[in-house]
Amino acid sequence: MAKIAVFAEIEDGVVHDISLQCLTQARALAGADGRVLAVTAGAGISEAAARLFGYGADEVHVADDKTLSGYLSRPFRTVLADWIAEQSPAVALFPATTLGLDLAASVAGARKCACALYADDVLRRAEGWLAKRIEFDRKVATYFSPAGDLALVAALRDGAAEPPAFEAGRTGAVTAIEVALDPQAMTAKVVQREVARKTVNLKGAKIIVAGGAGVGSRENFRLIRDLAAVLGAEIGATRAVVDAGWLPPDHQIGQTGATVRPEVYIACGISGAVQHRVGMMDSGKIVAINTDPNAPIFKIAHYRVVGDLKVVLPKLIEALKE
Amino acid sequence: MACHCVVIVREAWDTRDLVGPILDETGNIKPGALQTRFEPEDLNALEAALRIKDAQGGKVAAVTVGAPRGVEVLRECLYRGADEAFQVDADPSTLDDRALSVLLAGAVRKLGAPDLVLTGTSVVDGENALLGALLAAELGWDHVAWVDAVESVGGGRAVVKRAIEMGYETVETLLPSVLSVGVALLEDDPRAPRPAKAMLKLKMKKVPIPAAAPSELGVADPMALVTTRVARREAVPARVIESRTVDAGDTAALKAMMAEVLKGT
Repeated sequence: MAKIAVFAEIEDGVVHDISLQCLTQARALAGADGRVLAVTAGAGISEAAARLFGYGADEVHVADDKTLSGYLSRPFRTVLADWIAEQSPAVALFPATTLGLDLAASVAGARKCACALYADDVLRRAEGWLAKRIEFDRKVATYFSPAGDLALVAALRDGAAEPPAFEAGRTGAVTAIEVALDPQAMTAKVVQREVARKTVNLKGAKIIVAGGAGVGSRENFRLIRDLAAVLGAEIGATRAVVDAGWLPPDHQIGQTGATVRPEVYIACGISGAVQHRVGMMDSGKIVAINTDPNAPIFKIAHYRVVGDLKVVLPKLIEALKE
Repeated sequence: MACHCVVIVREAWDTRDLVGPILDETGNIKPGALQTRFEPEDLNALEAALRIKDAQGGKVAAVTVGAPRGVEVLRECLYRGADEAFQVDADPSTLDDRALSVLLAGAVRKLGAPDLVLTGTSVVDGENALLGALLAAELGWDHVAWVDAVESVGGGRAVVKRAIEMGYETVETLLPSVLSVGVALLEDDPRAPRPAKAMLKLKMKKVPIPAAAPSELGVADPMALVTTRVARREAVPARVIESRTVDAGDTAALKAMMAEVLKGT
């Protein structure tokens, strides 16, 4: 009987989508007679955590304490490592978010167990538990296994599984985890938080027009907006664009942003660094517009337009308006 | 407040735009199939440490595990302004991040009592993954990942800005602390090697870099510390996509392309 743990990341009372995908994966790994344990930590999260039963958890364990109101590595790793020591799951899944990746590695360090970040899959084979990661510019699949009989901690990438359907009738009683932290470890704090309100629905979009550093300026972004408007598309961006302040972070696609699979992806002035590519490479049709014929984005594009987007985009907009 | 920083730097595979097969028939990485480079986020970590030193004094020590394979990362740190360099004599290709973190914790302790240890947060692709988190757990210190900027260091604390999903957070962390630096510093380029004279560079080339065996850092057998093994590697078939070039100057061709792309949406 396998015991699989899932760390559920809860923000503003909502369980993060990748944590839900982890629950699907955990259910598959645990098998019919196994148990899926959801665990979470934070402040004022017990009510949201109870919904984890509806998503397929057999047990829900919650460290709900005001000292855990902002995410910090040391207190969170202490609470989670103690819980894992007590429960000894065979596998612990974390979402590959900025929080989940750090916590997975921190807990693995504190528990001295095996750890694979950015895992695309976790498998059970005769040889034991394996975490699979596609790496080396997506050319190699590497399978990691825990040494000896150590537990395996894996942070699952977005898209590894579909989130489970919510069953309202599936309920249970939440188990409280006692939080007894060393006060000295608690003096670090999150002093300020700026999180963009989600104004775009990139994941649900059929068509995305995305801009990168090659757009050149905030003013030139008008072209991206105009094209998106005529297509009824959402607007995406690379990390460079968000850092430059041309668009808020909710538009970001890639490693630290959203992973999207629209039917059509129009990449404008995007060179195609792997950090961006991993977030959009499974799109149905990819159109790339770039001045550099050697830009890596062209290697995954179905339509290659080598040219200046300031010239090409007005032509496309004109053509679509006709 | 003078600040003593240790920067962990790595010589990592350069996984950008790889051409040709990487694995041999046995599933091992082909010798010569990959080049190495100075892990770019580690370079950002060095830059962050040098800026702290510029602003408030102190010193910067650079540490790596293993002898250079192609890029002399420690000498590169010295050229860019690090005060000292230190090498752990072990082969990183046979170890995992957990074993490396124990060796590096030994090196950090040997280098005195630093206020901050800085390294790069992982890149999405390749062998390095959040070494900073493991190192912080091993040292029992605070850790902050995805650091974009170090805003201030003093009074036993560092105030840093970190990237989170959909935004940023400002975090006050207790010293000593481990900071894993992200990609954002790349936008304002890390400084070039010192404008100094070829003479200085040549002189430094001769400077012996102090090194220690694992046993001198309290580790009898680094292989015994490995928790995560590579079970096997398999080549992933290249994605075959039908791809064509559309003339950017041909309005009719662009129009036809859009009609084709939008068909069925």
